Amino acid sequence: MVKIDDKIEEAIKEIFSGDKPWVTIVWDDPVNLMTYVTYVLMELFGYTKEKANQLMMKVHTEGKAVVSTGSREEMEHDVARLHEYGLWATLQRGDQAL
Amino acid sequence: MTEHDSDEQHGFHRHGENAFIAQFSESEREVLTNLVEQILELLGERTDNHVDDPLAAMVGITTHDSPPEDEVLLRLLPNAYADQVDAAEFRRYTESTLRAKKYGHSMSMRITLKSSIDGIIEVDHDGANDWLGAMNDIRLALGVRLKVEQTSHEELELLAPDDPMRGVYAVYSWLGWLQESLILALMDEAI
Repeated sequence: MVKIDDKIEEAIKEIFSGDKPWVTIVWDDPVNLMTYVTYVLMELFGYTKEKANQLMMKVHTEGKAVVSTGSREEMEHDVARLHEYGLWATLQRGDQAL
Repeated sequence: MTEHDSDEQHGFHRHGENAFIAQFSESEREVLTNLVEQILELLGERTDNHVDDPLAAMVGITTHDSPPEDEVLLRLLPNAYADQVDAAEFRRYTESTLRAKKYGHSMSMRITLKSSIDGIIEVDHDGANDWLGAMNDIRLALGVRLKVEQTSHEELELLAPDDPMRGVYAVYSWLGWLQESLILALMDEAI
């Protein structure tokens, strides 16, 4: 019987997400409406209202939130779409301190 | 057709499966048209000079690799990376597409405004998203000029009656309310 603790689970996760070390970050912005940020996250990423709302609240209260994770190309695509709708977004390596 | 009372605020509401309707007074329509045309003009100012490089023009590479100096344009076309070298590279390959998309949103909004009869605007889901993107760009632009980043809402509410920014703030607030009404209509499940 193999036992998996949190550490091993984390290590396995890393193996399978090896090609996905980039993140898209949305930053807090005094102009964008809270409902608008939620709506854009639902519309662009297909997130449920609940998930989109949680991410929006994180942006609002903490100043920023990771809204998607993936390859560099995927994150560039996500950032471009967020910019199209006026959200303040950047991408960076996931292992860089936030 | 009943007359639209400009003092009454309606905003957008859902009409069936895929239609969103609002009615504007003549002056409201003029304000919206004027604002969206200014965004179109601003985006149009940042053109690519492809005289020296027709191949770049064909594949959509922009000649800009530095961010816009104008504060409003910079907010509309922001950097994608904190790192300046990465940001410049990304901008070179994507900025013209981003400008075209934003231009498309604003143009779509302008066309519905221009073709509306009795101030009635009807858009489908895609048209509504164009309106949201365009209204948001207008609010971002006004927000930069109003310095909402550094100024509290309370301070903006207390602007002197003869301060031109007071009127700008009123338009900015009204647009926020209008945008919100469209978002709520979109999130409202279809009947």
